[in-house]
Amino acid sequence: MADKVRFVIERQDGPNEKPYEQEFDVDYRPGLNVVAALMEIQKNPMTVDGKKVAPVTWECNCLEKVCGACMMVINGRARQACCALVDELSKPIHLAPARTFPVIRDLLIDRSVMFESLKKIQGWVELDGSWEVKDAPIQNPYTAATAYEISHCMTCGCCLEACPNVGPQSDFIGPAPTVQAYLFNLHPLGKFDAPKRLNALMEKGGITSCGNSQNCVEVCPKSIKLTTYLAQLNRDVNKQALRNIFNF
Amino acid sequence: MFHTTFYLRRLHSLCGLFVLGFFIFEHIATNSVAMAGPTIFNGVMGMVEEIPKPIFYAIEIGLYAIPILFHGLYGIYIALQANNNPRRYGYLRNWNFTLQRWTAWFLVVFLIWHVGYLRIYLKGIQGNPISFELLQNMFQNPVVAILYVLGMWAAIFHFCNGITTFCMTWGITKGPRAQNAISVISMLLCAGLCLITLAFMSSYFIY
Repeated sequence: MADKVRFVIERQDGPNEKPYEQEFDVDYRPGLNVVAALMEIQKNPMTVDGKKVAPVTWECNCLEKVCGACMMVINGRARQACCALVDELSKPIHLAPARTFPVIRDLLIDRSVMFESLKKIQGWVELDGSWEVKDAPIQNPYTAATAYEISHCMTCGCCLEACPNVGPQSDFIGPAPTVQAYLFNLHPLGKFDAPKRLNALMEKGGITSCGNSQNCVEVCPKSIKLTTYLAQLNRDVNKQALRNIFNF
Repeated sequence: MFHTTFYLRRLHSLCGLFVLGFFIFEHIATNSVAMAGPTIFNGVMGMVEEIPKPIFYAIEIGLYAIPILFHGLYGIYIALQANNNPRRYGYLRNWNFTLQRWTAWFLVVFLIWHVGYLRIYLKGIQGNPISFELLQNMFQNPVVAILYVLGMWAAIFHFCNGITTFCMTWGITKGPRAQNAISVISMLLCAGLCLITLAFMSSYFIY
């Protein structure tokens, strides 16, 4: 008889339903991760009391910590379920949805707010226009490594879940979308719109809502130095404010 | 396009560090005179009374009352936007973030009592000059003495942690090494000022 791993899952039947907990046992196997365990539960959604229940809903895609879809709260901490190895977690394993975002069902959340935030800070490079498109300009070799690092952001939302200033009580757009502004400001074409992005960050809910708790940098699964770039952006918005005031 | 929130936040930051920071040092400096005994302390208090009233009131209102009210009221609005989570994410900086808000709430209540009783009621309405004997009498109640020490400690921590976050907010310290260095220096300052507070508070029980 194989060893069992106990999962305590915080479930919710719909966006406005009350959350409740259910416990499941999953057969242990070496290298088991949380997504694989959820797949086992899906095959046979039976609680520890032997009650047949609706399968647990969650989201996952790439299974290699690149897409960000399977972010959930595992043992109280926001992280990707695909790279959360059962061997390394304390048991029983508690799973909960990231409640910084609206919950759709069980562990499935609606992260569209981050897309809206990326639109606010103009998280793209303006290419199309009435002007002539020539060869692509080269990346600045001195900032390319930083740009590459920030481009790893997969909008998983770990930093927003861990940030005490993001949530229904606040309008802070959160570390991930804020730092994306810096990525596009570094881009050889994107830098032309840097004042636009910095002005957007000065709006309500922008970078000024950062309270320096620095949880974001601790939980980022891609090890992006978020606090360093937030400080850099603070410098940049202060300079932009001076430019706005003195009109230069 | 006028970024009201941005300028209010930056003003809140400047006001806390420079104006209220100066206020804390002024308090520690004048109160430290208590260590020299009642006669010298009362002499210094008398010197403060010699400042012409219009100048004194202008300083009190312009430099103390208005910045404190702004920093306090806007600070309450900022504190309400936080959902403190140090139990889930028990990192040092997150604990400091939480303590920054807890000390703020304590200070709101403490300052209403401190200013309301000492400055407005005793000095303003009853016309009692603040003297060593008056404070000594007040601190005979151990609860009051402990609350005053906690009030000072809360203000000192809030100010010193504020130095660290000020440097981040203004982009002065960018990387983790610089941020940690400032954090260590400001916490040493915090410990030092807390000890000085204990020293001058104990003088009311010695003389």
